[in-house]
Amino acid sequence: MVLVMLFGSPAIHAVEVITNITAETASITTTQLRRIYSMRQVRWANGVPITIFVLSSTSTTHQKFCKETLRLFPYQLDRIWDKLTFSGMGVGPTLVTSEKELIKAVKSTTGAIGYIENIDEVSDVNLLKIDE
Amino acid sequence: MSIYLKSMNKMIYKLICVSALIAFNTIAQDEYSAEPFKIHGFVAQGAIDVDGSNFVNNDGELSLELTEIGLNTSYKFTNDFRFAAQAVYLNGGNRYNEGLRVDYFLVDWNAYSSDKWQANLFVGRIKNTHWLHSSTRDIPFARPSIILPQGAYFDGFRDIAVGGDGAALKLTYNNDEYGEFDFNFSRGRSPINSDDAEVILSELAQGSIEHNLDSQASVYWRPVFSQWKFGLTLLDSEFNYEEESLDFFVDGRFVFQFYTMNAMYEGENWEFTTELLQTRFLTEGFYAPQFSQDNLGQGASFQARYKVDQKLTLISRYDLFYADRDDKKGQELEKRSYGVVPSYFGYQHDAMLGFSYDFSDNFRVNAEYHWVEGAARLNPIVLPNALVNNQERWEMWAVQLMYWF
Repeated sequence: MVLVMLFGSPAIHAVEVITNITAETASITTTQLRRIYSMRQVRWANGVPITIFVLSSTSTTHQKFCKETLRLFPYQLDRIWDKLTFSGMGVGPTLVTSEKELIKAVKSTTGAIGYIENIDEVSDVNLLKIDE
Repeated sequence: MSIYLKSMNKMIYKLICVSALIAFNTIAQDEYSAEPFKIHGFVAQGAIDVDGSNFVNNDGELSLELTEIGLNTSYKFTNDFRFAAQAVYLNGGNRYNEGLRVDYFLVDWNAYSSDKWQANLFVGRIKNTHWLHSSTRDIPFARPSIILPQGAYFDGFRDIAVGGDGAALKLTYNNDEYGEFDFNFSRGRSPINSDDAEVILSELAQGSIEHNLDSQASVYWRPVFSQWKFGLTLLDSEFNYEEESLDFFVDGRFVFQFYTMNAMYEGENWEFTTELLQTRFLTEGFYAPQFSQDNLGQGASFQARYKVDQKLTLISRYDLFYADRDDKKGQELEKRSYGVVPSYFGYQHDAMLGFSYDFSDNFRVNAEYHWVEGAARLNPIVLPNALVNNQERWEMWAVQLMYWF
C-alpha cells in the first residue's frame, strides 16, 4: 500500500493526480493524462480498466486541472464526453460533487483516477508524479 | 377529431418522456460509484418564428414545435462488451417527422486497447459520428446553435443522415510526436417510413422509398497539444423509389454522395469552425421513366464563437449552399421547370447571430436570429413547394431552454 507523502500545508496547492493503488503506476506524462481524460486510453499498462472521476466543469479545481495539467479548456473535455455519451460510442467520466467524495471514490474503485487540490490527509492512493 | 387525437398523442408522448426523464434523473444522481449501468438524458423546449418560408410551418405563426427529449443508457457487461441505447422524441414542425425514435441501439466491442491504439466495433443501430455535428445534431446542449447550418445538416435528411442499422468500426491512434488520429468506417441502412418520403419527396408521392446499404468513412487529426482539429468525411448512399398504383411519380433511383472537409480551432475565448462540402445528387426515373439528372452541389459554413465569460457565449455563422455548382443562381433550374420552380430554389445562404447563457452546469438558454436568402434547403426538396415558399429572402428567430443530466 502506497501512502501519500505530505510536505506540510502550503497556502496554494497545485492540482495533484491520484489513482487507485491497482493502477500500479508512480508517474505519468501530460500526453498520457490527456489521452486518459479524452477517453483515448481506457486501460493501465497492467491491463486494469481505467475509471475516471471528475468534479463539476465549473469547479475551480477542475478548471485548474484542465488548463494547467492537461493544457485543455474544460469545454473541450465536456464536448468529447457529451459526444461519446449521446452517440452511444463511449462512456463519459463519473461526476462527483466534492474532493472528499472524489478521494473516497478513487480509493474504493479498481483502476480509478482523479485529481485533487488539497492533498492533506490523503492516504491509501497513488499520488502520481507528472512528467512533461 | 384526428387533429384532436394527434395533439393528445403528442401530449402523451411528452408526458411519458418527461416522467421517464425525472425518474431516471433521480437514479443517475443517486450514486457516484462507477456502476456499469449509466443513464443520461435531456429535455428542451423552445419557440420559433419563421417569416417568409415553410421551414417550420405553413402559416408563418409563432410555433412551439421545437421540442427535443432524449434518454439513453449504457450497460457494461464485461470490460470489453457494452450495450448502449437512446430514444428521442422530436417535434420540429416541417423540418422532420414529429415522434419517438430509437436513435441508437448497439453493442460495443472493445476489440483492442493499448496506450496508443484502440479499436471498437459497434453493431446494431448506429449513430452517424462522421460529420462534425452529426452525432449531436439533436442534442440541444451539445450542438453550437438551435438550427444547424442546413447546407450540411439539412433537417429534411435528418432521419436518413442520423444513422442506420449496420456496423461501425472506430480506430483511434495516439502519437506523441504527430498527435491524435481517429479513423471511422460504417455501413448501414436507414429505416424510412412513408411520412419520411412525404417530407423529403412531396405530398404527392404515394410510393415507398428504400435506402440501400450506405458506406461512410471519416478521418480526424489533432496535432500534438494543438488547438486545431481537422477532418475529412465521405458518404455514398443509394435510394430506390417504388411507385404505387395511381402515383404521381414512377419508379426511380437516387444516388447521394457527400464529402466534407472541416477545421476547428478551440481557444480559451475564441472558437472558429469551418466546414466545406460537396454533394452529388443523381436522379434516374422518378419524374418520368427516362429522366436523368446528375447535380454536384457545394457549400461552406464559417462559424465564430466567443466566450464572454463562463456563462455567456456569443455565436455568429455564415452558411452557403448551392444545389448545383454549375447553376449557382438557379437560372437553369427555373428554365428547366418552365418557371414552376423559381431560381432561388437553387441556393440557400444563411447569416446567423445568437448567444447561449448557462444558468448552471446543466441548464441553458439558446437564442438566435437568421437572415436567409434562397430556398434550396426547404422541404420537400425533390418537388419544391413554390406556392408557400414564394419569397427569396426570409427570416427566423428561435429561443430554446434546455436541461440535461
